Amino acid sequence: MQNNEVDMNGLVLKIEELSIAFGGLKAVDGLSFEIKENEVFGLIGPNGAGKTTAFNCITQFYKPNSGAIYFKDRKGQTQNLLEHNVHEIIKLGLVRTFQNVELIRELSIIDNVLIGAHTDFKATIFSQAFRSPKAVREEREMRAKAYEILETLGIEDRANLPVGGQPYGILKKVEFARSLISNPKLIILDEPAAGLNDVETIELASRIRKIRDELGCSILLVEHDMRLVMDVCDRICAISFGKFLAKGTPKEIKENKAVQVAYLGIEVDHDTKQ
Amino acid sequence: MKTILKWLRNPYFQFLLFGILLALVPILAKIGIFKVSYITTLGGAFIFAIAALGLNILLGYSGLISLGTSGFMGLAAYLSAYATIDLNLPFEVAIFLAILIPTLIGVLVGLVSLKIEGIYLAIATLAVSEVMRKTFEEFDFFTNGFSGKTANYPTLFGVFTLDRTTMYYFIVSVLVLVMILTYNMVNGRLGRALNAMRGSEAASQAMGVNLLNHRLIAFALATIYASIAGVLYVHFIKYSYPSIWSLKLSLDFLAMIIIGGLRSIYGTLLGAVIVFAVPDLFLKQLPYFNQLSYILNGILIILVIIFYPHGLIYAGHDIKRAFNKLRKGAK
Repeated sequence: MQNNEVDMNGLVLKIEELSIAFGGLKAVDGLSFEIKENEVFGLIGPNGAGKTTAFNCITQFYKPNSGAIYFKDRKGQTQNLLEHNVHEIIKLGLVRTFQNVELIRELSIIDNVLIGAHTDFKATIFSQAFRSPKAVREEREMRAKAYEILETLGIEDRANLPVGGQPYGILKKVEFARSLISNPKLIILDEPAAGLNDVETIELASRIRKIRDELGCSILLVEHDMRLVMDVCDRICAISFGKFLAKGTPKEIKENKAVQVAYLGIEVDHDTKQ
Repeated sequence: MKTILKWLRNPYFQFLLFGILLALVPILAKIGIFKVSYITTLGGAFIFAIAALGLNILLGYSGLISLGTSGFMGLAAYLSAYATIDLNLPFEVAIFLAILIPTLIGVLVGLVSLKIEGIYLAIATLAVSEVMRKTFEEFDFFTNGFSGKTANYPTLFGVFTLDRTTMYYFIVSVLVLVMILTYNMVNGRLGRALNAMRGSEAASQAMGVNLLNHRLIAFALATIYASIAGVLYVHFIKYSYPSIWSLKLSLDFLAMIIIGGLRSIYGTLLGAVIVFAVPDLFLKQLPYFNQLSYILNGILIILVIIFYPHGLIYAGHDIKRAFNKLRKGAK
């Protein structure tokens, strides 16, 4: 459905007054922010701030109690994500990764990547079962594309190995590759640096920028590793206890008193806090 | 030599070769190497293997358990018998109806029951299956009740009337076709989606897999396979009693998959042969043990699960390794 009333000029995602409560707990409370096209946007906050909940609301794993989430899809039309089911989100051009890597152990790495292209296949089950030339060609093309993506991530030599038993750093890359194959407009990365060592984190930072530049997509980064966030993000939104704290460039966020209080727990007077 | 090896590695060639090997059974029986009764035993096992393949898609790939396989297989068997004997319809029409009607019922059952999972789905499908079995007992005009319904060997295209041997060939051809189609489906987009669904519901949804749709597809496929098996059964064994389509048969299908190998096409076949053919072919021949054949079969199942929890088909790897070791040792 098209929503022309919302001004999405230069934006890819716009969140307005998003709220969701679990019982009496307001996990996200009146959160608003917007992500520009071609931007790396960071969402930070202490443990339990509601980052992952906000993220699950955007990807429709949770239906928020109130608020609106607008997204400019692959065709440039504005969609209200709340009108879509969770499995329809990727087709619009919004894809996510998972905090605890969610891959299929029994499948090979390249097959795991191909799952990301699920909605892009056009052949019916019938033509796949009988291997119609069209279905065969489509499968071959998708496989080539998946292989290409694995090449850019430098893990093409493992393409046909099963995912089970691969080191964690590789698994993170496979999940990354799976999100890339769907030609996304916006990639949401849920703590991509969790469990990575320093070298891998530095590599991840350059990869995030490279992806943004080459695919021309936006990236929403939900992350604990402050170095990574400060390093790659163009703008950052900080939240605490489900509420908006501050928004700005990494430098502004670093210097923001409210953020420091939330992170370090320093008691400050109410007048300095403002 | 190289081209032969290349051919041998082609999975489609392997399926055809396998089919040809199976088709040798009647010839071997004719020469006297096998007993003629082996044709019926093996043919029956292959029919059950077809239904088990469908259940393997459902259980192995999408991770859903159904205990309704025997009910749907029985329904198809009765429908085909009724259509050919009572309604005098050609075999081709009968086979179409006997697959279509159970599948429609299966999809309806799926629509209401696939929102639940695990043991609850097993109970729901068991209930459906038991309702069907009861129906087979009570609807005399359609099923002939307890005395059982008889059917004939089919006549293909109104010209070729099959006998036991040619019906066996027909079963082997259908089996090979079903194996190839299954192979294509599980190694393509559908197989990946079902695997993803079993591995992580959250991830598969995020990747655009519609859970209910794919559960329905897997359920419908299992029903179609069971229906095909039911039709073949009633025209090969030539009768159908309500007591055949009991919970025991559904559990046997589960046993076949567990013994043979989850997500393995050849494994399913191996499982079917072990569960249905081994007691008749070997265990009953042993002196003193002929009464105990099914107990021995139970012990076999336990041993397989202890030593090959992923299925007996993976014993092949061990045998290969042992063989390689022997060869190296000889050098």
